[in-house]
Amino acid sequence: MSIQYKTINELSQMLKSRDISNKELIQETFNLIDANLHLNAFITLNKDASLLKAEELDKNLSLQPLSGIPIAQKDLFCTKDLRTTCGSNMLSNFIPPYSATVIENLENAGCVSVGKTNMDEFAMGSSNETSFYGNVQNPWGDKLVPGGSSGGSAAAVAAGIVPAASGTDTGGSIRQPASLCGISGLKPTYGRISRWGMIAFASSLDQAGPMARTAEDCALLLNQMCSHDLKDTTSLDETIPDFTENLDKPIKGLKIGLVKEFDLSQLDKEVVKVFEESKKQYETLGAEFIEISLPNISLSVPTYYVVAPAECSSNLSRFDGVKFGKRCDDPKDLEELYIKTRSEGFGDEVKRRILIGSYVLSAGFYDAYYKKAQQVRRLIKNDFDDAFKKVDVIMSPTTRGAAFEEGSKGDDPIQMYLEDLFTIPANLAGLPALSIPNGMVDGKPIGLQLIGNFLEENKLLRAAHNFQLSTDWHKKTPKRDIQS
Amino acid sequence: MSWETVIGLEIHVQLSTDSKLFSGGSTSFGAEPNTHVDLIDLGLPGVLPVANRGAFYKAIRFGLATNAEINLTSTFDRKNYFYPDLPKGYQITQMALPVIGKGSIKIEVDGEEKVINITRAHLEEDAGKSIHDLFEGETGVDLNRAGTPLLEIVSEPEISNAKEAVAYFKAIRQIVTFLDICDGNMAQGSMRCDVNVSLKKTGDDKLGTRAEIKNINSFKFIEKAINYEIGRQARILESGESVVQETRLYDSVKNETRSMRSKEEANDYRYFPCPDLLPVVISDDELNEIKNNLPELPNEKEKRYIEESNLDISEAKIIASSKTMANMFEEACAKTDDSKLIANWLVGDISALLNKDNIDLEESKLTSNNFAVLIERISDKTISGKIAKSVLEEIWESGGSVDEIIESKGLVQIQDESLIEEIALKIINGNPSQVEAYKDGKDKLFGFFVGQVMKETQGKANPQSVNEILKKLLS
Amino acid sequence: MDKKTVSTIAYLSRLSLDEENGEKITKDLENIIKFVNQLEDANTQNIEPLASPLEKTAKTREDKVTAQNRKDIFLERSPKSNDDYFLVPRVVE
Repeated sequence: MSIQYKTINELSQMLKSRDISNKELIQETFNLIDANLHLNAFITLNKDASLLKAEELDKNLSLQPLSGIPIAQKDLFCTKDLRTTCGSNMLSNFIPPYSATVIENLENAGCVSVGKTNMDEFAMGSSNETSFYGNVQNPWGDKLVPGGSSGGSAAAVAAGIVPAASGTDTGGSIRQPASLCGISGLKPTYGRISRWGMIAFASSLDQAGPMARTAEDCALLLNQMCSHDLKDTTSLDETIPDFTENLDKPIKGLKIGLVKEFDLSQLDKEVVKVFEESKKQYETLGAEFIEISLPNISLSVPTYYVVAPAECSSNLSRFDGVKFGKRCDDPKDLEELYIKTRSEGFGDEVKRRILIGSYVLSAGFYDAYYKKAQQVRRLIKNDFDDAFKKVDVIMSPTTRGAAFEEGSKGDDPIQMYLEDLFTIPANLAGLPALSIPNGMVDGKPIGLQLIGNFLEENKLLRAAHNFQLSTDWHKKTPKRDIQS
Repeated sequence: MSWETVIGLEIHVQLSTDSKLFSGGSTSFGAEPNTHVDLIDLGLPGVLPVANRGAFYKAIRFGLATNAEINLTSTFDRKNYFYPDLPKGYQITQMALPVIGKGSIKIEVDGEEKVINITRAHLEEDAGKSIHDLFEGETGVDLNRAGTPLLEIVSEPEISNAKEAVAYFKAIRQIVTFLDICDGNMAQGSMRCDVNVSLKKTGDDKLGTRAEIKNINSFKFIEKAINYEIGRQARILESGESVVQETRLYDSVKNETRSMRSKEEANDYRYFPCPDLLPVVISDDELNEIKNNLPELPNEKEKRYIEESNLDISEAKIIASSKTMANMFEEACAKTDDSKLIANWLVGDISALLNKDNIDLEESKLTSNNFAVLIERISDKTISGKIAKSVLEEIWESGGSVDEIIESKGLVQIQDESLIEEIALKIINGNPSQVEAYKDGKDKLFGFFVGQVMKETQGKANPQSVNEILKKLLS
Repeated sequence: MDKKTVSTIAYLSRLSLDEENGEKITKDLENIIKFVNQLEDANTQNIEPLASPLEKTAKTREDKVTAQNRKDIFLERSPKSNDDYFLVPRVVE
């Protein structure tokens, strides 16, 4: 029985009714991986340990909620004794002595971590073209980017290799690839998921999140990923609800905000058409659209490109060739150790961001850039707070368009930065947001973004699930079922 | 040209918490290299700091003892620079909002009191150690110390000369040891200091350019470094040149300061709020608890010794000035109810030995326990005062236990009066001419008889008994 | 952005910019800085900077030793070390 493109619920059912054993399921998963090597979705595979776990699960049938479910883990999460590279040369030989809390949470819930997925280097990128381990292919077309930085995770789910993957989102790195690959992805409220063991890019923006075939599957994963972790003082101490509760409760009367300042006329006609169709769909479901204003939203991208590089320039200072990771050959002195190790270990995009970060934090520029950006950040957050007094969720396209070709963004980094126009604001404000597939443009999938208020993932998931009950964009697959 | 010296001190005090400022790594000194390193101390990718509440409590004690502003809410910042023993490539410190604000401390120089104001005291993590001389062509990095909590105490530039600087440093050391927030062990680096020195023309309002001398950890060197630096700057200014603002190191062998000029003229630390650490808040209840449990400070002990233990002012002052000595005094008093005797020993013999060897009491081999037992043995007359002196000297040189020394050397005092009388009679009978001379009026000869009895008993006879018995026999 | 600024920033970040990528990166930096200069226009008078999206204060730990000795693993998995220390080229102070 083919497991490709199955959801978590479907696979759980198959395992329960013994249509497939845990071992068979994992073996099939690795067959699918092998059949799709051209996607370059994985950096490191975890075959032996996975098969072992599956065998154990077959022996002791467990009642764990995600028992036996194969999951692909973004290579940004530390996995104990399993190489973790962050898509970088700098960590090509890094074997962590511990696992991230979110990895432990998922594995304790029964998940089988089949491998570490490819990603933009140190999570910096929107196309998975900056990885030291090569580009990831979008399963929807050759030479198409899957989006980034969680490109490998998105591709693995989109190709039906695994039903679930972990991703991280700092400026859109879960939602944007979810959109370009036609899958569902969610970034929770900042602090819902512990950052212990998540290799830090921009600490005040980073959040882990689930990537799966449906909003419901995202909810299943989210239930297990969230925890209050004393090892992460930015981890929320709020009750974790059951995110799968009441998902099919109708959304009649749901107030959906449309951002006045998001000038959709700038987008491709086809993209706007898809968005309008989704609006109509939501109206049939009983939702009400209200125009809201986020006056400072146009400053989101520049704000992000001050705050994120500043934090990353500091977070990446620990990569110095002294305690872990790569070291250059035969440094003649300390200076050479640092400079050569870091210049060889980091790719160009990472270097750019470190330099920008150092610049905006340096004496004389701190007030004008970093402090200013943090002030604008508060303005943006205040705008959202005001908007959520009037609406339940905010809707927009996730991306400006569908997947683009590798190398097509040219040499100008800013072109790439503008990819995250719609997704960045939620990170700046720490709000939950998700993307679900809502249409096709030129035969390529595209996504719809919903942004929710602080701690209101339930509302988002309900709105998304209702949409998925009445449409089938999320069921589309790039190829016909391929027997592995 | 007359120059006025302006000095400010930044003292780094290692707080005596059990664990580190941001991790559960142990802070105890002297462990094998890299055995007290937690994942967080190593700065591994993905780790996060969690602040140690105990460190805040210790910092607040300092604030209370110096009448300082206490910021119940304080924040952390990152100070970014590269060095092998700085694992994360940044130090977590408190720039913008430190836990302790303005305070002050009294110092005494040549009998005169002066108040030195303290600008702030903040928490920050210590770096590890770089060992330069063990390996050929390489430096070894030991991260045991990385993450240990430091309280950086910054003085206002109100210190006018080397003597005041040393007095200030000593005063800080006294406070932190009495407050039980630092062990004050200079040799182990529990307290280090950076000294900022500048000169200005007498009467000038504007401060001169300052040089910073880093990482001095002894009173003697602080004094020498400052005096050298004053001389160096004066020579420069006299010749019409300007002093360069820079960091310097004190070379104790050559007795000079040397420029540490690195490539970056001004090391830009790019401070910014640490995004992993939210503000830490100490509650009013916690503050009150700390207030109510503040350890006794020297002046409080002094007062108590005078009032309750009948010490005179100078004795009380000496004993109360050192935490170790105060503890020794109090522990001995707990065992033997003779505070005057105990005070005499501390202020007399022991202080003399400290002076002779030029060390502090905590550096000596004498333990509180040993001292308490020694006093006990004197008090219960197991040994005489004179014998006790020799026991003390033995312990001073080679350590050991009082009772073991008394036993192994057979120093137990002879109390047996009949035995003493026997020996006394022997001496008297053996020295008839001296007996006659004494009876004739040569009173001083009494000492001769005492001496002879003592010699015969190897000094172990109870001197009081000897006196009484000889008096009786010679009358 | 003048050459000196770029080379100072590069040094602060311990990154080398050779002839080849030096020019491109300088140009990129200039463009990015120009891009973020938009922030100048925002009216931020009396606005408190937002350091974290969470309006809460830190949970702290009790002063207790909880770490285990992992010296062997740490040194083993490091780029260069001997039995006791991480090793770097000799530092001259």
